Amino acid sequence: MKRWLAVYAVAFFAFLHLPLLTLSVFSFNSSRFTTWEHFSLDWYRAIFRDPQLIEATWNSVIVALVSTAISTVIGTLCAYGLWKRGSKLLTGSLYLSLVTPEIVTGVSLLALFQWSFRSMHWHLGLYTVVLAHVAFSISYVVIVISARLRTVSPSLEEAAMDLGANEWEAFFYVMLPALGPGIIAAALLVLTVSFDDFVITSMVAGVDSETLPMVIYAMARRGASPVINAISALVTVFFGILILISQQVREA
Amino acid sequence: MNRRYFLLGSLATLAACSRDPRPRLNVYNWSAYVAPDTISNFEAEFGVNVRYATYESNEEMLAKVVTGNSGWDIVFPTHNRLQPMREYDLVQPLHHEWLPNLQNLDARFGSPVWDKHLEWNVPYMWSGTGIAYNRSLQPAPTRWADLWDSRLKGRLTMCDDPEDMLGACLKKLHLSFSATDHGELLRAEKEALAQKPLVRAYLNAEARDQLVAGDVLAAQMWSTTTQQAIDVTPSLAFAYPEEGFPFYCDCAVILRESERTELAHKFLNYLLRPEVSAAVVEYTKTATANGAAVALLPEATRNSATLYPPPEIFERGEWPRTLPRDAQRLRDRIWTEIKSA
Amino acid sequence: MKLRFWFLLPSRIWMVALFAAPFAIVLAYSFLTRGTYGGVEKPWTIEAYQRLADPLYLTILLRSFLMALAATVLCLVFAFPAALFISRATRHKNLYLQLVMLPFWTSFLVRTYAWLFLLRDTGLINMTLQSLGIIHAPLQLLYNDGAVLLGLVYGYLPFMVLPIYATLERMDPSLIEAAADLGARPIATLFRVIVPLSRPGIVAGSVLVFIPCLGAYLTPDLLGGGRTVLVGNLVQNQFTNARDWPFGSAVSMLLMALVTLLVWGLLRRESEQLG
Repeated sequence: MKRWLAVYAVAFFAFLHLPLLTLSVFSFNSSRFTTWEHFSLDWYRAIFRDPQLIEATWNSVIVALVSTAISTVIGTLCAYGLWKRGSKLLTGSLYLSLVTPEIVTGVSLLALFQWSFRSMHWHLGLYTVVLAHVAFSISYVVIVISARLRTVSPSLEEAAMDLGANEWEAFFYVMLPALGPGIIAAALLVLTVSFDDFVITSMVAGVDSETLPMVIYAMARRGASPVINAISALVTVFFGILILISQQVREA
Repeated sequence: MNRRYFLLGSLATLAACSRDPRPRLNVYNWSAYVAPDTISNFEAEFGVNVRYATYESNEEMLAKVVTGNSGWDIVFPTHNRLQPMREYDLVQPLHHEWLPNLQNLDARFGSPVWDKHLEWNVPYMWSGTGIAYNRSLQPAPTRWADLWDSRLKGRLTMCDDPEDMLGACLKKLHLSFSATDHGELLRAEKEALAQKPLVRAYLNAEARDQLVAGDVLAAQMWSTTTQQAIDVTPSLAFAYPEEGFPFYCDCAVILRESERTELAHKFLNYLLRPEVSAAVVEYTKTATANGAAVALLPEATRNSATLYPPPEIFERGEWPRTLPRDAQRLRDRIWTEIKSA
Repeated sequence: MKLRFWFLLPSRIWMVALFAAPFAIVLAYSFLTRGTYGGVEKPWTIEAYQRLADPLYLTILLRSFLMALAATVLCLVFAFPAALFISRATRHKNLYLQLVMLPFWTSFLVRTYAWLFLLRDTGLINMTLQSLGIIHAPLQLLYNDGAVLLGLVYGYLPFMVLPIYATLERMDPSLIEAAADLGARPIATLFRVIVPLSRPGIVAGSVLVFIPCLGAYLTPDLLGGGRTVLVGNLVQNQFTNARDWPFGSAVSMLLMALVTLLVWGLLRRESEQLG
């Protein structure tokens, strides 16, 4: 059975990665279209010549990092608080926010921002994008961390408090380290979701807040462009290397 | 902790970056509608800082500007969105004394049907919807009705847009593109349903690639998109259908909320310069409303019957009107019915 | 209890400001009249809900449910062995997990376009089959329900792998040994012991896959060629092309109500079984 599983796993990873691999190969094609002409690096040069792309990438990184940091903190605290004693209202809201269609979240947040900003003469911008990302990310964090908390025995906290720690100390010195892997998993998930979001972002973005998915979307809707292939190849390679490095560090 | 300081630091840097001493102008335009140096040249010449961002549909842009608090100064709605924008009091009147380059406009756009005296808009770029096809398809399609030919089964795409798609059906029936009559629209729906078994997919720009690869033999397509395909694949051609077809014009307007009226006019006047407009056309392969710019284009572009159809064809074009509420709703239901059939 | 209060405070603020307020806005929209140009106007009306009774829209809803269900089942079938493999791996577990997530760092749109590359008439699959002489004319692989299903499965597979892996990882290996000692064959162990024990992961994964599949709109647009309408497209279209915000809001309200009932029922059964 083990051997069959291994064979299956190879097929599974091929299924996951083959489509992107094909795209990457075509990013070295000199033709704009999907007929192979000859090898060229033109599309990679085009990326670095495009200030809009560079700025959008920078915006995306900022938005993803800041909103991940905020939502991971809020979500972790929330999951822990709910673990101590549930709240039907809060849990219900978390699930409901997860099931709201993206376009609806986008439109309703846009309406909310516009209403509340009108009297204050504020405009949509990078911070509304961050707020929106925090809004939809918290649910993911709570769900992932709650799942982790279910595997943690409540006696762990009790033991800490028996040894003289107060509630806060028990959380910071005992529970938080125990939740570590869950928090990292949640943060990774949210980082990916935030980095990739287009629908909600494009609704709440304003002056100065174009993100990478928005630029990619704009290019792609005008027909497949090898520049997009090149960008996605770069992004995949970048994160692939990051994963390999972190793997090495962990095993060292 | 370090990570947190890093984040705060990068936020502060970002805030510092955006505090530019030069005057600002915020421009919100369709994607792929300027040349790479159009904006930077303007910034350098006028010593200003232009924030330029792009959108993909009129609705996306309108959702933002409709409250009059979007922060944008200039946007580019399609001609038939101008009237609703005026009804909502979203645009401000133009000062012609600040726009001497208006004289460069092609005569046909000096007094367009949607704004006779150019009180509110400066026509920017335009295009038509017609039939893109592979020359191997014989006889070549010349009418919308040719897209109902069973030989095209599985090799035909239509636009994923109710206005264009229903428009083609209406034109096949020799009705107006902007029809609002219940009976006429239902007849158009019948045509669409009859055609659906032949249709490979409802696609917009995505169809371009498949036309080039030869997967698709005929497609309802915008003239500008087709021109890009023809440039790399000479075996493709474009026809403005005989029954009539729609033209769309994207027009620059200054929003009511803008407090930089004078600078906004300078920008519009800059876009109206023949050499600026010609550079945009060369890069994006669109049709400019700027007659003086057309004269500067290379002969191949200028003489492209796809981008700049000759007068006898131009005559057959129709500029879609803004539709009343009920007609919009009926059209949407019909569209949903066609697609889910 | 002081700690719980402070810990829940930020999320309660989130709930009021960034969830309840926008939710109330959508709810209000669904009872208003559409503006000529997007947006909403008075008077208040329940017309949007009355339109929902139209068989056209109910068919679309049913079709979307079936599509999402099929995608969830397929995800489960494909993801379970993969999760089992990762949880049984003696080395590089984390690497395998990261590899599952890796394709998801690029834009969703790009991942979908990648399939266009493979599935089209002149794409990799048709070309390979033709050069091998297996087929003579290209197969029409794109623009049908199958392609949409494939896109959905591909798009949400990791959401199924991760939770199942998490439960398998926690499973006591001695249970499996015990089953083997008692003479159960590997297949029987799998279906009698491993699958039932990983139930919580399967349920969580199914929820995480089913919900986004139900609201999907880009995949049916791109891989389905817009030849079918799913409820996600319907909602999207109301807020864009059709400019009918009240109707779009009403459809989303119905969708959210149905999904909530479903998830609630599922989770309640789950907690009853655990308790």
